[in-house]
Amino acid sequence: MARVLEDLPHQYDHPLGWVSLDIPLISNLNVWVNIALIKQYHENLPVDQAAEMARHLLRRFQMEPIFYKRNSHLTEEERFCAMVLRAAMVPQGVLILDRPFEILSSHGDSRFLHQVLYTVNDLFTKCYIFDYTWQKNKYGLFDEA
Amino acid sequence: MFEIITYIGHRTITSLTELFEFLAFSKLVISRLLKRKTYNSATKMVLINQIYFTSLQILPLFLFISVIFGSLLVGIVFQAIKSFGLAEYLGKILMGFVVTELSPFITVVLITLRSSSAINTEIAVMKYNNEIRTLDAFQIDVVNYLFVPRVISGILSVVLLSALFSICALISGFLFLKVFFGMSIDVYAVDLLNSAVFSDLVIMFAKCITLGFFIALIPIRRGMTATEELTSIPISVLNGMVKVFIAIVMIEVLSLIIRFI
Repeated sequence: MARVLEDLPHQYDHPLGWVSLDIPLISNLNVWVNIALIKQYHENLPVDQAAEMARHLLRRFQMEPIFYKRNSHLTEEERFCAMVLRAAMVPQGVLILDRPFEILSSHGDSRFLHQVLYTVNDLFTKCYIFDYTWQKNKYGLFDEA
Repeated sequence: MFEIITYIGHRTITSLTELFEFLAFSKLVISRLLKRKTYNSATKMVLINQIYFTSLQILPLFLFISVIFGSLLVGIVFQAIKSFGLAEYLGKILMGFVVTELSPFITVVLITLRSSSAINTEIAVMKYNNEIRTLDAFQIDVVNYLFVPRVISGILSVVLLSALFSICALISGFLFLKVFFGMSIDVYAVDLLNSAVFSDLVIMFAKCITLGFFIALIPIRRGMTATEELTSIPISVLNGMVKVFIAIVMIEVLSLIIRFI
């Protein structure tokens, strides 16, 4: 899995939308700046428009109250949503979810994960999920008898 | 004997390697600083925040220190030179010492204590937390996004706060002289203007820019040496602050040599 994750960025000439504990939110930035940063940096989106865009995106999850919060003050669900929204800001909308249950550690199945992806499905074109094989039950996949 | 020579050789090679790497890093940052492409919405926002943290938050303390220093120092200096019958040299002493030497020095010490240590820790913590890797993953250039705004903020802060320190010190000094020695504004202003030497002010300006550049760049560089071990953070801050102090002393000495050549 590690090999696949290392090789994947070389297959694309644009940034990938990583959602991973190894690619954390920037701790000294608010949630909205974390989400808007990619658009601000790569597309020079003005600050007020970037803030409005982030607010609009958070509203999809009814998470406007976390707009000014920082990483350390987020629940795991809020952190995951913020990371997915940030990842969805990459130009070609290719999401890479790297071991999502390390972020959603208290979740026993993928219902929340699917619900989040469904909420933002207009923001990405492809989504790859990488996880350990022993986690497959959480995705509703079972060994055939 | 052989061990001592080996040790000296090893230290020399390590120090020279570090120096050349630092010079290459400085060149990279300066080249980015001059590129228009560096400045986008994200870097401008960081720059504004950095100027706020470095220059504005420190203002109350800074103004207090400049007024106290200015009034007491000018009063003491005037009292001393008056007792030697050299009162006509007040302007030269104020311009040559308070404005060109003391103002940049106190400013840079205050900013270093407050902001350089913060920059060093911030970068080290970002490195430790994998946040630098986050920026790389989203193809956000760390030099453009993190380093350039901090360096610009350092330069602007030292230049502007030095000027502010000089103005506050001279005004509070005048008020002190007026209250305790009955000096008029005309005499004081003419004395200062006649003592102002353009080349000294240019050297002071260049010194402030150099100081501002290095008190931001050295902590950034040292912060980037932090590793995945938590204990590397205090070590990087300690090394950074020592190196910043050495840089300040070296720049002060060089500016004095240039001034008196």
